[in-house]
Amino acid sequence: MEQASNIDESSGDVTRRTLMRALGGAGGMIAVAGCTGGGGGDGDSGGGDDSGGGSSGKTVQFLTMGVGDNIKGFFEENNAKFEEENGYKLDFTSVTWDNAQSTLVTRVKGGKAPDVSRLPSRWIPQFQNLEAIDPLDDLMQGEFLDKFYPKVANTTKIDGSYYGVPWAYSNKAFYYNKDVFEEAGLDPENPKLDTWDDVLAAAQKVTENTDTPAYGLPAADRLTTVSQWLPYHWSHGADIINDDGKPAVNSDAGVKGLEFYSSLVTEHKVTQSSPLSSTRHDVRKLFEQGDVAMHIGHVYVGINIEENKTGTNYGIVQMPEGPDGRYSLATTDSMVMYSSAENKDAVKDLLNFYFDTDRRFEYSKKKGFMPVLEEVGNRDYFAEDPLWSPFIEASQYARSRPKLANLSEVTNRLVKAVQEAVSGRKSAEKALNEAQADLEEMIEA
Amino acid sequence: MSSFEYAQDDSESQGTVERAVSYLQDHWTEYALITPSIVFLAAVVLYPILETLRLAFYESPRTSTVEVFVGLQNFNEIFSDPFFYQLLWQTFRWVALAVTIKTLLGLLIAVHLNQDIKGRKFFRTAFLIPWGIPYAISAVIFRWIEQPQYGYLNAILLKLGLIDQQIGLLGDPSIAWLGAIAADIWIGTPFMAIIFLAGLQSIPEELYEAAAVDGAYRWVQFRYITIPQLKPVILIATLLSTIWTFVGFDVIWTMTRGGPLDSTATLVIWIYKTGFENGNLGMAAAYSSIGFAILLVFAILYLRIYMQGGEEI
Repeated sequence: MEQASNIDESSGDVTRRTLMRALGGAGGMIAVAGCTGGGGGDGDSGGGDDSGGGSSGKTVQFLTMGVGDNIKGFFEENNAKFEEENGYKLDFTSVTWDNAQSTLVTRVKGGKAPDVSRLPSRWIPQFQNLEAIDPLDDLMQGEFLDKFYPKVANTTKIDGSYYGVPWAYSNKAFYYNKDVFEEAGLDPENPKLDTWDDVLAAAQKVTENTDTPAYGLPAADRLTTVSQWLPYHWSHGADIINDDGKPAVNSDAGVKGLEFYSSLVTEHKVTQSSPLSSTRHDVRKLFEQGDVAMHIGHVYVGINIEENKTGTNYGIVQMPEGPDGRYSLATTDSMVMYSSAENKDAVKDLLNFYFDTDRRFEYSKKKGFMPVLEEVGNRDYFAEDPLWSPFIEASQYARSRPKLANLSEVTNRLVKAVQEAVSGRKSAEKALNEAQADLEEMIEA
Repeated sequence: MSSFEYAQDDSESQGTVERAVSYLQDHWTEYALITPSIVFLAAVVLYPILETLRLAFYESPRTSTVEVFVGLQNFNEIFSDPFFYQLLWQTFRWVALAVTIKTLLGLLIAVHLNQDIKGRKFFRTAFLIPWGIPYAISAVIFRWIEQPQYGYLNAILLKLGLIDQQIGLLGDPSIAWLGAIAADIWIGTPFMAIIFLAGLQSIPEELYEAAAVDGAYRWVQFRYITIPQLKPVILIATLLSTIWTFVGFDVIWTMTRGGPLDSTATLVIWIYKTGFENGNLGMAAAYSSIGFAILLVFAILYLRIYMQGGEEI
């Protein structure tokens, strides 16, 4: 069963996961992008102890998800320390990712929201729309704000206000298989993969000279299909939503981006077979096993290759450049403060406590997530590591998804447009024009 | 007091109300005994159905806590959307093919398992296995079989020289539904076989003996004894199978999520996508109501036609 990485899979509504479970579906959601496979089966520690809300001023209800063995100790130790230092009592709960959204929405709608919780940043617009969370501008400013990678901090910003503090982060860079490159007559140590045209040229050489499919392109009916295509769209200079908040997917730039993307399949035939049934997970597996030569992936691809000892000899370069520059997809989880919290100062104290640089370093290290604080990313552990450093660099140009309350509906519609173009059933222009028309209806609604 | 005695009562002199009251007085224990079940069913079946019907007339986006009454707007949108008719066709196609094959295969297997063959017990158990595995797991297995890079299907076809390059059954919008239906048939056939086998074993042996004496061939015996005798069993099995196949969710969802390009979506998949992925609960409720109506009409017609039908199936 594909384990949907939570952060990259705009999941459905409240009961979606529960329903899947009831139906015997084992689609687990996992904490952060790429946290699948060998990465981290985030276990459930606390179980959903819904003791209800209504905390007193002295107690802070802190809800998080997917606290597994690798991070349990970190929380136990630090929670105790926080209680001791500040005199508050922490009511700490961890729910599984399966139940995260339903737990939160149910508690919010039932007036029993926690005081502070973690959640994928793409849920922020929905909760802001429900008027369930408070802006955190008085915290997210000055020195505190400066600690974050600006692009990471921006993932929580709506209408000029910060509604969350980024807690976990992932982005993507460009993986290639050194052995296959060598076989194709390319230089494995200095691959020329600087632009999309370079990627195409390399892919054509790999296709001509080896039996390995050159480029991993997922286009199955999953939201991650859009995640993989977005960098093309952005780097050609296109947007999903323009500055006025209106849909703008079918600009000339957008059409060029999708034309190039789909031509990899339809015209140049440099991808793995059957892109329309390949999920991102399938393609990632292909790369990890050495069965596809190039793939846009998270740091987890490298981690899985090392951990599972697949023997794939990989290299990582920055995302290729398009006419409008480089883009990587940034995905974050954030800490948010609920409007119903009784003691908001206590919540801010807690956030201040947990966003201490050393604590963040320890968290990122133990958890295997990208650092959210620049200073942490600059430490040797990350900055000097051949696997981590390209991703630290990509943080400079990573960009987040558009902030929409109905993001999953919009993304679903875009999946269809990408599939239409990749399957060759419609031209990129036609596919995007039709998507644009539907998006205009969705977003004005 | 039996109904027979009740009928003997001088009921002419009583009004309807008194009659009802006295009937209830006589039968209150029966009603008292079934009340808990009725309450329970009302709570878990009737209420959700009514709530869904109500919701179909509202707009209920996930992004707000407000439900807006929109009357027939959801239904208007659905009926004016060409995709809805594609969806109906895909659902019908899926149900018709799957149920037909499951029934025929089930009958075939049952007839064979009813013979006195060696290892009959083993085969009976073995044939039940697909039905005992959770559907979603079977669907995952099929997804792997049909997986273009690592799947058995490609490996076998390549070895046999039937194809010269990997094919992705589930990645081709025109045939993906056949890739998914294979899993559904594999899962659903054993149930049919077991039901038919039970039916076959209740057919009196004398009928076949008499037919054999009259010189009827195997096929004639099957046609004029087995099938008519099995008729009630076939009726129930196909009706159940139709309903289950119509509302079947996990196989398609696990294998294709209704894709690529919505080519494997059935009504149920679409309800799920609309309601739980895209967060339009009102619209999903409208689709559900339409599905409910279709099944209800089908079930009533099916039973009627079947009950009136003579010997012919």
